[in-house]
Amino acid sequence: MSLENPFQDPLRFERRVPECAMVIFGANGDLTKRKLLPALYRLAYERRLDAGFAVLGISRTPMSDDQFREKMLASVKEFLEDSPFDADVWAAFAQGLFYMPGDIDNPAIFPALEARLKEIEAARHTGGNVLFYLSTQPSQYIPIAQGLGAANVGKGAGWRRIVIEKPFGHDLASARKLSDELHSAFEESEVYRIDHYLGKETVQNILAFRFGNGIFEPLWNRRYVNHVQITAAESIGVENRGAYYQEAGALRDMIQNHLSQVLATIAMEPSATFRPTSVRDERSKLLRSIRVMKPDEVLQNTVSGQYGPAHIGGEDVPGFRQEQGVKPDAQTDTYAAITFFVDNWRWAGVPFYLRSGKRLPKRVTEIAIQFNAAPLAIFNGGETTTAPNLLILRIQPEEGISLKFLSKRPGPGMKLRPVSMDFNYGSSFGERSPSAYETLLLDVIIGDATLYTRQDMVEASWAVVDAIQHVWDETSFDFPNYASGTWGPKASDDMLARRGHVWRQP
Amino acid sequence: MSAAGGTIAPDRILHDMADLWVSLGKQGEGDAGVLRACSMTLVVAAEESDDAQAIGETLAALMPEHPSRAIVIRFRSEDQRSLAARVFAQCWMPFGHRQQICCEQIEITASDASLPDLAAVVLPLTVPDLPVILWCRSPRLFLLPAFSQLAAIAQKLVLDSAAFGDPAAALGDLCGAAAAGPLLADLSWTRLTRWRELIAQIFENRAQLANLPLVSNILISHRAVATPTTAYYLAAWLLEGLDKIGAHPRVQFRSDGGEPAWRLSLVELRAQGRPDAIASIALAAGPGAAEVKTGGLVSKALLPALTDYSLMREELAIPGRDPAFERALAAAAKLALS
Repeated sequence: MSLENPFQDPLRFERRVPECAMVIFGANGDLTKRKLLPALYRLAYERRLDAGFAVLGISRTPMSDDQFREKMLASVKEFLEDSPFDADVWAAFAQGLFYMPGDIDNPAIFPALEARLKEIEAARHTGGNVLFYLSTQPSQYIPIAQGLGAANVGKGAGWRRIVIEKPFGHDLASARKLSDELHSAFEESEVYRIDHYLGKETVQNILAFRFGNGIFEPLWNRRYVNHVQITAAESIGVENRGAYYQEAGALRDMIQNHLSQVLATIAMEPSATFRPTSVRDERSKLLRSIRVMKPDEVLQNTVSGQYGPAHIGGEDVPGFRQEQGVKPDAQTDTYAAITFFVDNWRWAGVPFYLRSGKRLPKRVTEIAIQFNAAPLAIFNGGETTTAPNLLILRIQPEEGISLKFLSKRPGPGMKLRPVSMDFNYGSSFGERSPSAYETLLLDVIIGDATLYTRQDMVEASWAVVDAIQHVWDETSFDFPNYASGTWGPKASDDMLARRGHVWRQP
Repeated sequence: MSAAGGTIAPDRILHDMADLWVSLGKQGEGDAGVLRACSMTLVVAAEESDDAQAIGETLAALMPEHPSRAIVIRFRSEDQRSLAARVFAQCWMPFGHRQQICCEQIEITASDASLPDLAAVVLPLTVPDLPVILWCRSPRLFLLPAFSQLAAIAQKLVLDSAAFGDPAAALGDLCGAAAAGPLLADLSWTRLTRWRELIAQIFENRAQLANLPLVSNILISHRAVATPTTAYYLAAWLLEGLDKIGAHPRVQFRSDGGEPAWRLSLVELRAQGRPDAIASIALAAGPGAAEVKTGGLVSKALLPALTDYSLMREELAIPGRDPAFERALAAAAKLALS
């Protein structure tokens, strides 16, 4: 019988974190420097990691362990947000940082990795638990998985898990191929497809809001909800990702993964328990209920856009086609707006409008649930109000929830005015929210896959997106069709207007 | 507001509070509305000599996370019955100075002699349908015979055994209160959370966990001359955990001297015949830092500053039973008396 830790106190302590070593492929890359190491350091600062926690970084760049530590120290200091830096905590944490230069294309790297992991396990008591984090180009996912499998790396007393970043393929077929290759070395339960949107506090709070309260869920259906708008707007352009983005586009880059997952969280059925399988089953079921558009429906229910140049705030900003690495006649969508329908009893006939774009007026991600108007307008001389009840779930930049409703204006007569009841996540709880990467890294170390995407979910969202992408690929769009700094193409407003709706201005 | 003859009418206080909200609403007309927030009634019983400003600052800090109707009762040791009250609001602006959130506060001054009258005054002032938490900052008040009437209106009574003179007697008194009255919390137990969490985290590692049944000696060093309640609690909790896996070590308390008296400076788990401790946590030289040694690895953990705010914040987040504390209290009282 295995021994249980007798000192746990779930009422007061944070979640249990087992010992492990984390192998980061692409350890010299941006993601490692900007997100992973700052998040790991922050977890160490919060006393959330095992004392022997170790990181083994791998990339092509020749470096010693000490040079890697120095480099990561600089990154942590630069990219640590909302957190103090403590030299002593870093010194203890850095003892567990190791580095191994190597080329993924060289098969010898994997047996060498195995030997290095054995050394680390002996020195740091990591118990044979190994987390592989692929912070590399997606094209390297399959070679790494194959290499790990062929060399039997990390198979021992402990568990092995692998984390991959999006994109999980570029269409349904490639997503399936990627999964098949990963499964040659890892079980599906060992594969963690990270979607950092699901790690955001407010996205998790959607579940608490919906299933922790009794008053909202009865309204959460086609009878009371008029429509749902999900917006993920960025004010910046493609920056230095022009070459990558040109091949991806907003539909693949945002809608297929982040926004589909948000939609699934908003619309899924209550799960019987909060266990990972149960929650993910419901998300998956919802994704499979999204109506796949027929080719002749696509142009009616979708809008593709691309930003053009503009003069914003006294500065000239380039159009997408003028960005570095982008072809002058690129047909890439930097804006995508889609009308989805969920074909189940709860949501039949309710439009879910999703939009995502670059170079929009501001950076904001939010979900707006618009409820049906009161059945009879008895105030304001019988005029229907122009301010519908709205529930707004703000995901970024200021996480929170607002409920808009009508109230009588003080004074004589029955004049109504909209008022807002706000709940601001940060200020209400008065404490720092963990970053999405902190949450998700802790989850994978603990083995909690609730907030990770499963293969069937990936395939379901690709099936929906592929149907749109195929039509878009065969269409020649008259790009650019929106100026930088605006809320996207006029066709997007027209798409909503056809059903009597308008986009909210966040 | 103080009525003639040293009495106060709850209805009058409630009326004053309603006026206060109207007045706040007028100040916040236009875009800057006022939101009223409340998740509990927090009653604070304190001595008149207690630092009023510090209590106010603690309540203000607690409000954003635990918005409450706060009722602060300040007692003076006086035989004549006297009561007085005033109402005001604590407001803050979390939405970029656009909208205020306010919580109401009632301050009552009372003589010891009026303690039997207070439950009838406080009960109508509590917010309906929400929990009532009573934070008693004075052992003297807790030990007054009529205090139990006030405590009876609360779902949870928060005390600090570190403020009691005799730790062993304090644990006995708390055991008695736990058996008789509302749910009990002791801030001396709350002070141990980070220590306990560090210990628990060490044994999440299976290699370290395998050593746990070998523990034969526990050393707990503290600052006080007499062993403080925190040390008894920690020992009781460790012994309970070790008992579950069949280990029955000897506990040794050691005084290192210094202030504050309740602070622990070292906890060490040792196995017979082994030169190094299986695990040790020692306060490091830096402020709020601890050095954790286990399995040849040394790490440093930052321990957050323990203030009235941080301790109450943790306790207010646990409105229900705390079985680990209840077991530790009973065992610590036995240990202290043995």
